[in-house]
Amino acid sequence: MEQKLKTDFDKFINNSNFSNQEIKLKKEALDNFLKNGFPSRKLENWKFSDINQIIQKNIGELAFYNNYNIENEINDNIFIKEIEHNKIVIVNGKVERLSFEYEEKDKINLSSLDNFNQNLNDDNSLLSLNNSFSNKIHNILVKKNYSFKKPLIIYQITNEKVSNTNINFQINFELEENSSIKIINLSDDNSEKNFINNLFNFNLGKNAILKNYKIDIKSNANIKYDYSNIIQKENSISEIFIFSSGSDYIKNEVSCNLEGQYSSAFINGIHLLSKNKHHEIRTNTNHLYENTKSYQLIKSVINDSSKSVYQGKIYVDSKAQKTDGYQLSKALLLNEQAEFNAKPELEIYADDVKCSHGSASGSLDDNSIFYLMSRGLNQTTAKELLINGFLLDVVEKITDDEIKKLLKNMIGLN
Amino acid sequence: MLKINNLNAKIQEKIILSGFNLEIKPGEVHAIMGPNGSGKSTLSNILSGKKGYEVSGEVLYENKNLFDLETEERAHKGIFLAFQYPLEIPGVNTNIFLKTSLNSIRKAKGEKELDALEFLKLVKEKAKELKFDEEKLNRQLNVGFSGGEKKKNEILQMSILDPKLSILDETDSGLDIDALKIVADGVNALRKKNNSFLIITHYQRLLDYIKPDFVHVLMGGKIIKSGGAELAIELEKKRI
Repeated sequence: MEQKLKTDFDKFINNSNFSNQEIKLKKEALDNFLKNGFPSRKLENWKFSDINQIIQKNIGELAFYNNYNIENEINDNIFIKEIEHNKIVIVNGKVERLSFEYEEKDKINLSSLDNFNQNLNDDNSLLSLNNSFSNKIHNILVKKNYSFKKPLIIYQITNEKVSNTNINFQINFELEENSSIKIINLSDDNSEKNFINNLFNFNLGKNAILKNYKIDIKSNANIKYDYSNIIQKENSISEIFIFSSGSDYIKNEVSCNLEGQYSSAFINGIHLLSKNKHHEIRTNTNHLYENTKSYQLIKSVINDSSKSVYQGKIYVDSKAQKTDGYQLSKALLLNEQAEFNAKPELEIYADDVKCSHGSASGSLDDNSIFYLMSRGLNQTTAKELLINGFLLDVVEKITDDEIKKLLKNMIGLN
Repeated sequence: MLKINNLNAKIQEKIILSGFNLEIKPGEVHAIMGPNGSGKSTLSNILSGKKGYEVSGEVLYENKNLFDLETEERAHKGIFLAFQYPLEIPGVNTNIFLKTSLNSIRKAKGEKELDALEFLKLVKEKAKELKFDEEKLNRQLNVGFSGGEKKKNEILQMSILDPKLSILDETDSGLDIDALKIVADGVNALRKKNNSFLIITHYQRLLDYIKPDFVHVLMGGKIIKSGGAELAIELEKKRI
């Protein structure tokens, strides 16, 4: 793999026009990845989802070269019709369209970054891989006091032109003081057997609000890692909602760094898995200052021989007195082969904090099924109603009514 | 309507009903009384199709073998069980549940399903009759309902579904006298020529408001005594 990485990297650099500084950083990132390789279960973070093995078993040899000079056609049919929205369309890791048609142009600044976040590299080799092979990084800056009028939908598309390939994508959002944005990430995969590695960086200024809904519904045989790193200043709010059911394998990782007082992070997620899928959510909420708050509610419905994993860590710095942290994960196992793993973690260095966590798993209650069937519902409908009921409170956490309605329809919950 | 011949039931090798016989004709109201553990709830569970019992004997419902019917088919054919302990179903809206239930039954009967407006009209009317707080219909099914509200909700479901054979499993327990009257009114309103009732109870007081045609005493898994409404009063006196 090492030789392949090096050759593909050279080919990639030769076919792009990065600055010397960028090339230097990319080389460093590549060296870091070469040193560590794909994460395996030996690492605590990856103990339930050995991505090294998963890639080997399901893809085998990966290509790392991705030609960003190809123009990809976009079929407008895939766009959501129900709500007016701004768009970013990414095809095979390349940004093909950025349209902020509903916004005031002078309130948003679009640029490309030639410097990426080096400190992320340290212990996550996939971020190094991303840094070395991702294309130009777009930076979207929302200016002070500006709130997006319409949501932004990021269409993450892959087409049949790529297979057995590693696709890396990275984007930055900077929300200045008092600004806000709502983002829906929507995967649309028409490819298979790729390893897709996405990185989203968010920088939230004072009082800024980020609402981010990440939806992976379309069935596909790709392997995905999706990392969101959120830095939050005073009084800022992040609301993350993850719904995944489509990809064969996906690990969604969210890190919220609550650096300013009264900042808060809400991360809620649903896994709805059948056949032979393996999905993981990992959350790191880092309370780094006084009076910060975090909340996580994760629910999984697991059928057939699928596997759901939730790893949730709440870290409380010695400075972070008056922290309020809450975490709950619940799983509904629909048959014998289904598997749920939860690893809640609290690491607390302050003495005046309120933190709680819990995890529970079980099967559908036979008495409840009997109750519903005695009212004329067949077994399938009765089970569906109970599963919907189980998941509903997670969806109800979505604070934007328009998006809540859209997503409820999209994922088939009433 | 319902004919039970020599019904025996076991659960995990424990005999609960043995040699149980009962016949209910259209329009009749039967009350079954008996001490705890005499098999009253088992009887209602078996009639509505709960799994987990080892059963032998014969139960004919409208001259057909009841055991050939799945739980939901029994509901489609007009059997209704008001649960002793109605279940709380988190995340399921009461109105949506009621509508799904009613339309499943209407569909099975070959009747037109009600649309949202028709359904709401019906449910409002019935809720009003039973003095059931309409606002509760928009809540999750039975979640956070008081004991009395849960029981009233059972009767509301019964009156919306309009069953032929209603089995009331200790519907009176935990009800205050006002709630008891409302529940009884609900039952009496459904007491038409062809609707039958099987009322399972500990106490005679519900029977002050719903006058049964027959009273049976269940003990040790079978009926040991049958009589008219006066039997309930007699039993109550003996207990004192």
